[in-house]
Amino acid sequence: MIDTPIAARESIRIPVTGMTCAACQARVQSALAREPGVSNASVNLMMESAAVTFDPAVTNADRIVAAVRATGYGAELPATDTSPFLEQEARDRSQRTELRVMTSKAIMSFAIGALAMLVPMLTMRSAAFTSALPYLLLVLTASVMAWAGRHFYVNAWNALKHHSADMDTLIAAGTGAAFLYSVVATFAPGFFVSHGVAPNLYYEAVIIIIALVLTGNVFEARAKRSTSTALRSLVELQPVSARVVRGEQEVDVPVASVIPGDVLLVRAGERIPVDGEIVSGASAIDESMLTGESMPVEKGAGDRVIGATINRTGAFRYRATTLGADSTLARIVRLMRDAQSSRAPIQALADRVSEIFVPVVISLSIATFAIWFVAIHLSGALPATAAVRAFAAAVAVLIIACPCAMGLAVPTAVMVATGRGAEYGILIKGGEALQRTGDLTTVVLDKTGTITEGVPTVTDVIVSPGSARDADELLRLVASLESESAHPLAAAIVKHAEARGLVRESIQSSELIVGRGVTGVVGTSALAVGNAALMADWSVSTAPLAVQAGALAGNGKTVVYVTIDGALAGALAIADPIRATSRDAIARLRTMGLAVVMLTGDDERTAQAIARDAGVERVVAGVRPEGKVAEIARLQREGAVVAMVGDGINDAPALAQADIGMAMGGGAAIATEAAEIVLMRSDLTAVTQAIALSRRTMRTMKQNLFWAFIYNVIGIPIAAGVLYPAFGVLLTPVIASAAMAFSSVSVVANSLRLKRARLS
Amino acid sequence: MTLVDWVVIAGAAAAIGVVNWYFFIASRGHAKMRHEH
Repeated sequence: MIDTPIAARESIRIPVTGMTCAACQARVQSALAREPGVSNASVNLMMESAAVTFDPAVTNADRIVAAVRATGYGAELPATDTSPFLEQEARDRSQRTELRVMTSKAIMSFAIGALAMLVPMLTMRSAAFTSALPYLLLVLTASVMAWAGRHFYVNAWNALKHHSADMDTLIAAGTGAAFLYSVVATFAPGFFVSHGVAPNLYYEAVIIIIALVLTGNVFEARAKRSTSTALRSLVELQPVSARVVRGEQEVDVPVASVIPGDVLLVRAGERIPVDGEIVSGASAIDESMLTGESMPVEKGAGDRVIGATINRTGAFRYRATTLGADSTLARIVRLMRDAQSSRAPIQALADRVSEIFVPVVISLSIATFAIWFVAIHLSGALPATAAVRAFAAAVAVLIIACPCAMGLAVPTAVMVATGRGAEYGILIKGGEALQRTGDLTTVVLDKTGTITEGVPTVTDVIVSPGSARDADELLRLVASLESESAHPLAAAIVKHAEARGLVRESIQSSELIVGRGVTGVVGTSALAVGNAALMADWSVSTAPLAVQAGALAGNGKTVVYVTIDGALAGALAIADPIRATSRDAIARLRTMGLAVVMLTGDDERTAQAIARDAGVERVVAGVRPEGKVAEIARLQREGAVVAMVGDGINDAPALAQADIGMAMGGGAAIATEAAEIVLMRSDLTAVTQAIALSRRTMRTMKQNLFWAFIYNVIGIPIAAGVLYPAFGVLLTPVIASAAMAFSSVSVVANSLRLKRARLS
Repeated sequence: MTLVDWVVIAGAAAAIGVVNWYFFIASRGHAKMRHEH
């Protein structure tokens, strides 16, 4: 890493425990934002972590942890130097434990609640038991509150100390009020009786409310686990052992003890243990788990293989390159984890709402009590009767208004969508990227390596009329001359000759003429291979091939003329072929309502030919790399939300300028900082899938927020009793708590539908 | 409307006032203090 002297920044990820809802998250977030020296903080409820960027000159990790703890939540210094795999496993374990504890608490609470409801009914006849019953129920309820419901009260109290409130506050206030009321009724029933009201006990209601809220939490925790299955299944791909060739022997060693440079052996059907480069042998390799590409890829000596992919057919030896935390799989896991813990801008809406929500609800609950009291009292009831009924309505308002569905609406969708993307080989770096991708209006495609294969290939060999040499002989001589050149066109010619099994001849001399071509002597023939300008220099007329050459150039091909011993012998046409999937993908982008623009450094005529072939409507030709940035900026000024699709290495500035940069090209592209989306497949259909997924996800988020909000908008007035005068409908606190649990579960279920989203 | 009703209404209004003061106004001062600190 290079040290930057100005504005030094460090980033840490702190595990935060005890957050249960959006309000908790908002509280930790604002506490971190207030901390001096913290430039950016992103707290994620689902991942139970906070990503913090800070200036080490002003603050440090210890102080940041202390700031989180001061809000009443648990925080720890991140363990240093753990691999993303170990980290993920540790989180899995703690999630499993949490789920188990919560499930047993919920079941026990239900059992005790059922007992508390049934026992009074069964023992109605026994006078002695009836008088002892309230005390028994008091003890049972107090134990359930202290054991199963403890965290509600602890969290609510911690929040209260910091002038904030969350869903736990509502539950604590609701159950606490019902409990205190019942305690008074237990010890001083005479007070109620003397006012003509039965000394109602709400003990079983308290227990059942706690049981229901816990059940909601259990479903939530299970949903949280299943939203991260994609990440978990990636971690599980990590092989355990590797077969290393040491001297003459093959030794099985743990993957962790493989070092770069080790030669490893992989047989058919085995998982490739680490990243590396094939030394000998060849095979078809199934990379579908990382790229989403279902066809195995043929690889041979010199090709790179990726750890965790499966070797399908042959055996090969390869040399280990990147390992451990630098490996492709580890980088994907880390990228996914960071993405899942990031926040979508739309989340800010939910945070804002839940922060002001709780005080408003408490106010509404108090108002409900007052209005009901006065209404019932005015209708002729005794004040105590009025108080009892008004009280039930007020508690129901507190319970039904829990904003937890609001807090789950956005993060669950982000988690499921990023996981779904990964299954298609689309790595989306976070909620913000998802949201902006959903808003795209224009897709800018780099030509070379994006629309096209990126590898120039000889497409035509033309022999001049009357030439003594046939096409193969022409190709053989040209390939011989070009074999020493590093030019990409030269490489295409040499490769084509090799593919046809032509044997190259030795070169007597050769000279490279920049911008023109190459000249030299091969065997006994003097050759000049290059463009029309080179031919003109040599006073060779290209007229005999003018018609054919014109047609080839019109199709976007580069024509290379060949002169042998001073006479025009023929020409080669070289083109970068369009990828098989590009046409369909571009057509699909257009049907999705997106403008498609192609950027290329090629001249206008070649560019137009390719664009026509690929179905692109707008072409900007002759742009240099820096010109791409300017072109994207121009589109943005016109109001377009632009995605740039490029190879991630040459196009980095353009990717950074675009609203969404999509880097294509697999493993190497993951490291590209400039891209918001990494496409593991070199295939434009991945672009359409990424956009389709983002649009679906945004739709899901909006549905979730709408339902979470509407639920409260409808639920609170019903609990407050607005329907009572007309229909006699009033919610009991128990029904209110069931409805609340249901709303969270429905939001999570809606997000989980993204898991099955079809993108093609 | 009897005295009891008025007492309940006044009590509720006061309670609502306290809740909103505590969470909105007092919390702002609280945050500001910490920020300046």
